[in-house]
Amino acid sequence: MGIHDELGSLAMAASLEFSNTKEGGRPLKASVKRCHQLLNRSMKVGVSDGRFFIGKFHCLDKQGNIILYDTLECRPIHPSSTDVDVHLSTRFPQSKGTVEQRNLGLVLIPAKCRTSCLVEGSIEEKLTLLSLQEN
Amino acid sequence: MSESLADGLAAGDQTVWIDATPFISQVCEDLEVGQLINGENFSLFEAMSALEIMDPKMDAGMAGSGVATLDDAIQSGKAPINLTIAQLIDVMDHLLACEASWHKGHSLSQTVFSCLYLLDVERTSSNALLHSYCRTVRALCSLTRTAVSSVHSNEEEDLFIAAFGLPLEVEGDGKCLSKLNAVEEGVNRQLKGAKGLAIKRKPAEEVEPLQEDPALEEGYCRAILCRLRFRKAFYHIVTNMTKPQGRGLDMAQKYIAVALSEMKNIQKSADFLSHCADGIAQNEKTTASGREPIGFDPKVNRSVSAPTPPRSINLLTWEETTQYFIKLLGDLEIITSLTTSLSLEELFQVLVDFQKRDPDLIARSFLQLFLVQEEKLFGKDSMFDVLHKTFSLSETVKSDMLMSDSFVVKSGQLTLYLVRILCSNLSWQHRKLGKILSEWGILLQQGDALFENLMHGTLATLEDKESWESAIMGWTAEQTCWICAQILTLGFQLQLYAPSEYCMIYWYLDHALLTELNYRHLKERKNPTNNEPSDQTNKKKKRSKRKGSMKVTEEELQLTPQTLLLQCYIDACKGLSWMMAALTADGKFSESRQTIFNTEHERFIQRFDLFQKVPIPQPLSYMHYKSFTVQRNISIKEQYLWSREYFATLQQHLQDLGHCLAKSTNLSPICHSQRTTEINQLKQVASRNLIVLRILNDAERGKTLNVSFDFSQHPFFAVASVKKV
Repeated sequence: MGIHDELGSLAMAASLEFSNTKEGGRPLKASVKRCHQLLNRSMKVGVSDGRFFIGKFHCLDKQGNIILYDTLECRPIHPSSTDVDVHLSTRFPQSKGTVEQRNLGLVLIPAKCRTSCLVEGSIEEKLTLLSLQEN
Repeated sequence: MSESLADGLAAGDQTVWIDATPFISQVCEDLEVGQLINGENFSLFEAMSALEIMDPKMDAGMAGSGVATLDDAIQSGKAPINLTIAQLIDVMDHLLACEASWHKGHSLSQTVFSCLYLLDVERTSSNALLHSYCRTVRALCSLTRTAVSSVHSNEEEDLFIAAFGLPLEVEGDGKCLSKLNAVEEGVNRQLKGAKGLAIKRKPAEEVEPLQEDPALEEGYCRAILCRLRFRKAFYHIVTNMTKPQGRGLDMAQKYIAVALSEMKNIQKSADFLSHCADGIAQNEKTTASGREPIGFDPKVNRSVSAPTPPRSINLLTWEETTQYFIKLLGDLEIITSLTTSLSLEELFQVLVDFQKRDPDLIARSFLQLFLVQEEKLFGKDSMFDVLHKTFSLSETVKSDMLMSDSFVVKSGQLTLYLVRILCSNLSWQHRKLGKILSEWGILLQQGDALFENLMHGTLATLEDKESWESAIMGWTAEQTCWICAQILTLGFQLQLYAPSEYCMIYWYLDHALLTELNYRHLKERKNPTNNEPSDQTNKKKKRSKRKGSMKVTEEELQLTPQTLLLQCYIDACKGLSWMMAALTADGKFSESRQTIFNTEHERFIQRFDLFQKVPIPQPLSYMHYKSFTVQRNISIKEQYLWSREYFATLQQHLQDLGHCLAKSTNLSPICHSQRTTEINQLKQVASRNLIVLRILNDAERGKTLNVSFDFSQHPFFAVASVKKV
């Protein structure tokens, strides 16, 4: 990819213009298009210290950093603190102990500390998502 | 790829959480560099305000640095209930340091409520000492906070009263004293028991000692006792000082004395406690023993205060804490010595003098609470009565018409507001005084309307009308001049002026003070209010005529300390402004160079534009100032001579003031001590400036020497110092 293409992409991002079908003359990849459809959906992002954030999907970049808005921070409070329980309670928050919540608003989760990412969707979508990944 | 049950999604939705991690990875691979997935409601600028997770400055909930909640802390054993006596004393000391830090302006959540015991006081009920102490502290903080917020001085210090939902107001805390008394009794018995053992006598009852080592028992008992007693005394001080109409001031004074003596005991106990301390002393210790206390976590309330974590603060050290409380008690004592019979003029003087002690928020709030309650002075005098007394009008004047007259009502409001302003900190004062100056100017202009109404309405004779007019309008004019002078001198104390502006400030200050003095002379001639012995007037010599002042011979006046002080200020202003003008002309005042940003004329306008809007003191223009500084007809040498004469006159007046002060009996103690201090300061100002002037007299004209000014002797009168170029 030449310099001009990079600049073109950057300029496009900065000017906030967005075309669903083309960008910088190149057609969007299917996954990218699909991802656009996930915007403003509820997303649950787990972080390395055991917390998870439930918010609406706002932005994603190439490095994997995610921005959520109207975010709720959930910190599971569990009686025991073994690794197994932490692991379990991140996946099954309702099965072990209670969760302490805080409203945060706009939140950026760096890719480096993200451990999991779940999106709210219907059962059919789940299958579609599966099929997309197999491509 | 496993699914969990939907969390936070509405029931009935046919939705599940789908693991999107591999999908996201794919998307990231497919994205171009710099390409984002975002909707139309996305803005890079707004996204900058997003909280970055795992960044310690932005992520308050981040694990890893201490515990996150109180429960975690308790479970990890950070707040044990069964403390040894030494540990308990450390907790008490650290709590005192936290309280002092809160008073100084930090938030409750990071200071007092960093104590894990205070966050759940009920939990400590098995430890009577700890429990009663915590309850008393909580009650005390609640009372203090209520007092400060009720005077609305929190405008200056917003952080003080924010409680962030922390458990500050709890039912039944008013009875905390009974519990405290009970534990004090218990420790008293233990002390007696320990003393009994020391002289090998059996104790009367079998008392359980506080700790194991019998040799140390007495010391520990005393240490605990003085801390308990200090808390009790402080509690009584706060409850008494918040009583309306100053009813509790006498009791408060007694308790202040108790608190001060207990604080001395607390300080003395530090030697004993640090000697017993087995741990390593902290660098900046917050306890008397030097050990770090158990049961505190400054970060435990992180998530409560705001989305972003608050900046970490430094608590006051043990030394600073004890000094703070001693000073606070001293300031509170001054307040308790005030009476509700002060005249308005005395009150203003007291307020100005009190502020010279640099009192903190708590002291100033209690002062304001005492002075202004329910729109009445001292909570009992309506402003109409106060003004009536101030104007010294005869009883027949007290009519409904006068009471409801808008001028009188307005001046009452403005005066009360002035009292409140004078209780706030200096910067706030400076700002607010500037704002109300124009209101006082309007009052001056509206005065005529009042007297028209009176003429028609009441049975006032022409002489009566004239005498009221001069009394009321004279008082208003005098107050306006006083406010102007206050604004100008505050500017010096707040270091708002550049050296190049000193000359014009002193020149204008002189004008304002002189106008004020004239009105005072008028008033005193009509109503000699002071009771100085009349033989004093025979000692006065006639002074030479001062430029621009009214020719008033002093035999006619009976001088009060306030008037003499005003005269001294005027002398100092004249001396300094003449000296500075001469130095500028002589080229020796290097700092008076004009800056490249604006001219002297522009600076004059910036400084005095405010005063142009009020009729009194008469607004002076830049042209007037220029004609003063240029002085074409007078040589520089002669200008230095004029300046020397003014400083010499200042010295003479200072002597007179000293004599007058010695004779006056009705001055309140704070005013008396402040006047004495100020006389000495002004003496220094005069003598040092005279020395410099002598040097200048003999020196060559031109840039041979460099003169600079500082405020080392007096807060707003400068002192010159000379250096060779």
